[in-house]
Amino acid sequence: MSPVTLLILLPFVGILAILLTPSKYAFAWRLWAQLFSGLAALASLFVFFGFHPGAAGYQMVQRLEWNSELGLAFHVGVDGLNVGLLLATALVGFAAVWVSDEIEKYTKLFYVLLLTMIGGALGAFASLDLFFVYFFNEFALLPTFLMIGIWGRGDQKNFATFQITLYLSLGALVALVGLVCLYALSGANTLDVLVLGAWLKEHPLPAGLQTLIFGLLLFGFGTLVGLFPFHSWAPLGYGVAPTATAMMHAGILKKVGLFVLLRGAFPLLPLGVQNWTGVLAVLCLGNLLYCGWVAMRQKDLNLLLGNSSLAHMGFVFLALASTTVIGITGAVLVMVAHAFLAALEFALSGYLYRRTGTLEMLMLGGAFRQMPFIGAALIAALMAGCGVPGFANFAGELTVMFGVWSVMPWHVVIAAWGGLVIGGIYMLRAIRKVAHGEVGKVLEGKPDVVGLARVPYVVLLLALVFFGVAPGVLVDRIRPSAERVVSLATAGASKTGAAGHASVLNPTSAPAH
Amino acid sequence: MDPISHTAVASSNAQDLAWVVLLFPLISAASIPLGVGRSRALTHAMAIGAVATGFVLSVSLFLLFGFTKGGIHATPLPWLSVGGLKLQIGLTVDTLSTLMLMVVTGISTLVHVFSTRYMDGDRDYPRYFASLGLFTFSMLGIVLSDNLVQTFIFWELVGVTSYLLVGFWHEKPSAADAAKKAFLTNRIGDFGFILGIILVWSAAGTVQFTDLAAKFHTDPRLLGGLTSLAGVLIFLGAMGKSAQVPLHVWLPDAMEGPTPVSALIHAATMVAAGVYMLCRVFFLLDLPAAWPGFLATLGGPSALGIIAWVGGITSLLAGLIAIQQNDIKRILAYSTLSQLGYMVMAVGCAGPDAAMFHLTTHACFKALLFLGAGSVIAGCHHEQDIWQMGGLWKRMPTTSICFAIGTAALCGLPIVTSGFYSKDAIFASALAADRPVLFAVGVLVAGLTTLYMARLYLVAFLGEPRSESAGHAHESGTPMTLPLVILALPSVTLGWLPIGSFLKEMSFGGGHPHYPDSITDILFDPFNHSPLGAVLGLGLIVFGGFVAVSLYWNATVDPLPKTLGWVSTALRSRLFFDAIFDRVVVPIHDAIAALFGLIDRWLLQGLVVRGGSGAVDLVGRGLRLVQTGNIQTYGFLFVIGVAVLVILALK
Repeated sequence: MSPVTLLILLPFVGILAILLTPSKYAFAWRLWAQLFSGLAALASLFVFFGFHPGAAGYQMVQRLEWNSELGLAFHVGVDGLNVGLLLATALVGFAAVWVSDEIEKYTKLFYVLLLTMIGGALGAFASLDLFFVYFFNEFALLPTFLMIGIWGRGDQKNFATFQITLYLSLGALVALVGLVCLYALSGANTLDVLVLGAWLKEHPLPAGLQTLIFGLLLFGFGTLVGLFPFHSWAPLGYGVAPTATAMMHAGILKKVGLFVLLRGAFPLLPLGVQNWTGVLAVLCLGNLLYCGWVAMRQKDLNLLLGNSSLAHMGFVFLALASTTVIGITGAVLVMVAHAFLAALEFALSGYLYRRTGTLEMLMLGGAFRQMPFIGAALIAALMAGCGVPGFANFAGELTVMFGVWSVMPWHVVIAAWGGLVIGGIYMLRAIRKVAHGEVGKVLEGKPDVVGLARVPYVVLLLALVFFGVAPGVLVDRIRPSAERVVSLATAGASKTGAAGHASVLNPTSAPAH
Repeated sequence: MDPISHTAVASSNAQDLAWVVLLFPLISAASIPLGVGRSRALTHAMAIGAVATGFVLSVSLFLLFGFTKGGIHATPLPWLSVGGLKLQIGLTVDTLSTLMLMVVTGISTLVHVFSTRYMDGDRDYPRYFASLGLFTFSMLGIVLSDNLVQTFIFWELVGVTSYLLVGFWHEKPSAADAAKKAFLTNRIGDFGFILGIILVWSAAGTVQFTDLAAKFHTDPRLLGGLTSLAGVLIFLGAMGKSAQVPLHVWLPDAMEGPTPVSALIHAATMVAAGVYMLCRVFFLLDLPAAWPGFLATLGGPSALGIIAWVGGITSLLAGLIAIQQNDIKRILAYSTLSQLGYMVMAVGCAGPDAAMFHLTTHACFKALLFLGAGSVIAGCHHEQDIWQMGGLWKRMPTTSICFAIGTAALCGLPIVTSGFYSKDAIFASALAADRPVLFAVGVLVAGLTTLYMARLYLVAFLGEPRSESAGHAHESGTPMTLPLVILALPSVTLGWLPIGSFLKEMSFGGGHPHYPDSITDILFDPFNHSPLGAVLGLGLIVFGGFVAVSLYWNATVDPLPKTLGWVSTALRSRLFFDAIFDRVVVPIHDAIAALFGLIDRWLLQGLVVRGGSGAVDLVGRGLRLVQTGNIQTYGFLFVIGVAVLVILALK
C-alpha cells in the first residue's frame, strides 16, 4: 500500500476508533483524535521527505479500480503540486485537534467531524481523479457547516452559517457542472487527470467548450477560495467558526479550490486558460487591494484575519493569471505557507476569544505583557502575514512578484503596494491594539498557554520558519510540476514570454502594459 | 603555491570567519529565550561575547582581505531557484564590507556594554539583549550580502528588529506608536526597493552584485529607458532606512526606544544601511540618465542628481529643525538626519568614498553623543529637556568631556576632530561634481550644525543647574563611562586615516587615489586638497559658534521663539511633515478603506446575501433544500465509498 493511501486512511481509522469507544471512556475520544492526527502528521513528513525532488511525474502512486464503467478509480499520487499541501494538511490537522480542548459539548461528534475534515482534505489533495478530488472536498466541507452551526459563537452565527453554506454550495454546484461537462463532453469517460490528459492531447475540445468549462471551474472553485467578488462569506464565516474549524477551513480547505484549478483546469484546458486569465488578472486586484482595504477597516481581529487571508489569495490568483513557471511555483509556495499561517492566526485568535470572550481589538491590548507566549506568537504570525522574511509567506510572495513581472509588471506594482504597505498597515495596527499597549480589562489575570498546550503553536511556527529559511526544499519539489502545468496550459499559446522565460523582458516596453 | 588553490583556501577561510561574525549574534539571541535568559549575568555575557568576538574577527577579516582588490566571494548557498530566478545566500568579504563590519560590531559591542548598566533595572532585560542580538545579526546580513535579494531580506529584518527595539517599552503608547510608524514609513521605501530589484533582475537576469557590475560594465544601457527609474526605485529603499525627506518622519519618533538603542540605530547601523547599500550598488546609480518615454519629455535628471538633491534638502531641513528642539535626544536625532543628508548628497555627487568616510567617522562620534545623552538622562533621573539641565560639567565630568569631543567632531572642528576631514571630503565631492548650490547648502549646514550643537552644550552642560534633577546629577559608573572614553578616541583620530582615498582605490575604482605622505600633509590635507570647502566650512563653524554663544551663554530661556516668531513655531513643529503624514497619507488610505468596508458590508453581504429582495431569499431557500438533499446523498455515497475502499484495500 502506498504511504499516501495510509496517510489518507489514518484519520478515518481514528474516526472508527472514536465511534467504537463508548461514552464511559469519553476522555479517550480526544486521545484517539490526537493519536491518529499525530500519526498522520508523521506519515505526511515521511511522504514529504521521501519524495524525490526533481523527478518528473507522480510518485507513491496507487490505483484501485472502483467503477470501470463510469471510469472511476481511487487513484492517488504525489507530485510537486500536492506534496507540500499534504504536509500542511496533516500538520494543521494535528494542531487543530490539539487546540480543541476548548470544546465541551458533543465532543465525540466534534472530533469525528474534525477528523473527517482532515481525511477529506488529505484525500482531495492526493487524488488524481478529479471526481475524487471533488468528492473528498465536499466530504471535508460538510463538517464545516455543521461545526459552525453547532459550536459557532457570537450573535452573527446564524447569518454566517447561512451565508457560508449558500456561497460554498453555490460554488461547489457551479464547479460540479463544470466537471460534469468535462466528463461528458471530452468523451474520455473518465476524470482521471492522467488518462484525461492523454486523451485531450489527442482529441482536444473545441475552444468554445474549453472556455465554457474553464469558466465554470474558475468561478466555482474560485468562490470556494474567496475570489473577489465572491469572497464575502469568508471573513464572517471564520469570525463565528470554532477555532479548529477556522484553522482547517482557512488554512487547508480553501486551498483545494486553487489546487483543482492547477491540477485540472490549467493543464487540461489551455484554450480556456488563454481566454480567462485576463479576467482573473483583473479580479485578483480585488483580492490584493480591495480586501486589504476592507481588512484595514475591521475592528474585530478575526474579521481582519479573514480579510487578510483573502488578500493573500490575491497573490495566488495573480500568479495563476500570469501562467509562468516562476509564478506558479510561487503560487504553490504561497498556498503552503498560507496554510500554516492562517491556521496559526486562527489558533491564536481562538485562544484569545476563549479566554476573553471577545475579539474586539479595542477591548484587548497588552496581550504580549499578559500572555508572553501567545503575544509573541501573535506578533510573529501577524509579521509573517505582512511579508516579513524568515517566514515562508515572504518567500512565496516574493517568488510570485518575480514571476509575474515579465507579463504583468503593473500588477506587481499593485501587489507590492498591497502586500508591503496596506498589509503592513493593518497587521501593525492589529499588533498595536492587541499585543502592545496597556493590558486590557478583559485580559487581566487571564493565563498564558503553558507546557504541552504550546505544541500546536510551536509546530505551526516551526513550519513557517523552516520553509521561510529554506524555501528551496519546497521549491525543488514544486518546480517540475509547475513546469509541466505551465507547458500544458500554454500549449499552442501565442503569448511569448508566458512560458517562464522571465528574463527576456524588453525593459523599454514593460511599463506600457 | 599554485595561485588557484591559494585563492580557494583564502576564500573558504574568509567565508568561515564571516559566517561566524554573522551568526554569533543570532545564536546568542536565540539562546536567551531558550534558557540563558534566566540569568542576567549569563545573558549579557553571552550577548557581549558574541558581538565582541565579531569585532575581533571583523578586524582580522579587514587586515586579511581588506587590502585585496575586488575582495573575496565565497561560494553562495542556494536559497531558492526556479526558472530564471536563482536566489542565493552568499557573503562578500571586501574592503567596503569589512570596514562596515568593524564599524557595526565595534559600536554594537560598546552599546551592549553600556546597556548592562543603562537597562539594569528593567524587567525585560533578557528580551532586550535578545532583540539587540537579532538586530545586530540583521544588520550584519546587509553588510555581508552579495546580492540584491539577500540585501532586501536582511533589510526587512532590520526593519522588524528595529521595530522590536523602538517598541521595547511596548506598553507605553508613544513607544508602540513610534515603532509602528518607523516600520510603516520604511515599508513605503521598501516598496520602491523591491520593484527596483525586480526591474534590474528582469533586465540583467541576475541579482549578484559582481555579476551585475560586470554586466553593466559591458553594457551600461542594459536597462534601456528604465535606467534612471531603477536607480530612483532602489534609492527609495535607502530613503526609508536612511530617513531622507519626506520619509524621515519615523526617525525622531524612534527616540522612544531605550537610549542605547538610539545610539545603535542612529549611529552605526539601520540609518547607515541605506547609505551603505547605495555605495554597494553605486555602479547601478552611476549609469547615464535614461527615462521611459512619458518621463523623458521632462528632460529627466539622472538618478544621481535626484539622490544628491534629496540628500541636500534633507540635510538643510533637518539642520534647521534641530535649532528649535529642546529634547536632547531629538536634537541629536535631527542632527543624525542632517548628517545622513550629507552622506546621501555625497553619493549623489559621485562620491561614495566620501559618503563611506563620513559614515565611519559619524558612526563613532554620533554613538558617542547618543551614549553621552544616555549617560546624562540616566544621571538626571530621566530628564530629557535641555532647559531642565545645566551645570552638568561639574557633576558629570567624564561625560561632559567626552560629549564635548563628540560635539566638536560633529561640528567638524579642524585638525583635532575626525568630522572635519570626512565633511570636507563631502564638500570636495560636491565641488568636483560641479554642484555649487549643493556645495553652498553643505557649508551652510555646517554652520547650522555648530549653532544647534553649541546651543545644546551651552544649555545642558554649562551654566547653572535649572532643575533639581540636574542639581543631583551624577555619573553612572564604568559600564557607562568607559564606552564614552573609548569612542572619544576614534572621534578625534579617525579622520587622519585616508579612509576615503583607500575606498576609492579598492572599491570604487577611482583613477588616482591621493594619499598624504607626511604628518603635516595628513593634518592639513583638506586645506591643500580642497581649500575652498575647508576655509568656508571653518568660517561658518566660527560664525555658528559665535551666534550660539551670544544667544545661549548663561541663558535661562530660549530667546529665539520671541525673535523668530512663526519661523520658530514652524521649526518646533518639525516643518509640519508629521502632520502631513498623519492628516493626509494615512487618512487617504483610511477613507478608501471606509468606502470599501461599507461596500463590502452593505452591497456584497447585505444586498446580495442578506437579501432585501425576495428573489435572493427565494434562491437561498431553494438552495437550502438542495443542500439538505445533498447531505443525504453524500452520506449515502460516503457509506458505499468507505465500504468499497475497505474491501479493495483488504483484497
